[in-house]
Amino acid sequence: MTMDDNELRRQFTELREADKDRAPAFAQIYGRARTRASLRRTPRVRPLVLAAAAVVVIAALSLAYGRSSTPSTTTPAIATWRAPTDVLLQTPGSELLGVMPALSKSILDEMIPTPSNKGT
Amino acid sequence: MDDVELKRELERAHADCFGWAMACCRRDRDDAEEVLQTVYLTVLDGRARYNGRSSFRTWLFGVIRLTAASERRKAWLRGLLLERESGKRDGGGGKREAGILAPDSFPAPDAEVELESRRQSLGHSLAQLAARQREVLQLVFYHDLTVDEAATVMRISVGSARTHYARGKARLATLLGNSREL
Repeated sequence: MTMDDNELRRQFTELREADKDRAPAFAQIYGRARTRASLRRTPRVRPLVLAAAAVVVIAALSLAYGRSSTPSTTTPAIATWRAPTDVLLQTPGSELLGVMPALSKSILDEMIPTPSNKGT
Repeated sequence: MDDVELKRELERAHADCFGWAMACCRRDRDDAEEVLQTVYLTVLDGRARYNGRSSFRTWLFGVIRLTAASERRKAWLRGLLLERESGKRDGGGGKREAGILAPDSFPAPDAEVELESRRQSLGHSLAQLAARQREVLQLVFYHDLTVDEAATVMRISVGSARTHYARGKARLATLLGNSREL
């Protein structure tokens, strides 16, 4: 048994009519698509926000680094600067080494008090 | 084409698009809705642009066909992963196997029953055709496209479309004749 084009077309038309009755409303499908589209747009904003935040952080860091690396106005000159460990160089009796010894005197006279010294 | 015009065109073609989406999704209503929604999203996003080289409906049918194919691939991959995870193969073909419309839950009058039976018979026969034969017949007989337009939608040459059309029509007639004799 064969079937002509008209019969096929008639059967397809019946199917189309049935589908038309069962088709969801356009507004429903379109609305869902719109919602999905707006949800998709949100992640596109996020990278922009992240990039802007990264730029701000980098700018702040470079600014802070720039400030710390500039020479301070209170830095002392090298001629007047004294190392904090200089006190360790002051040994006991170092004052004896600072004066010229006399030939007629003993160095002990300076260190040990004598009666003539006491009187003065 | 601006948003308002695009929406109007989509609305005008909606019922037709749903029918084509049903055909591309083996007459699964849920899948067809999902595909249609994805298509509208693709069009709204501007990922699919109408360039005016064919009619809007022909172009839209092409987008639906590609989207349905993409969704089918994704579903197949998902199924494969789930199958692998569960470690057991699903025995039944489920709702997709036959591609037949689900019968109504309430009893219909005789004429309705006969109509439904004819629709089921057509759906069942179409499901037995090769994909391209099914597509070209659907586009020509259901959507009243010419074979040339069907070829544009299916992205094949007109010659191929004509071959699929002739073979598909002959096979469908045989299948429908057999089902009627049964």
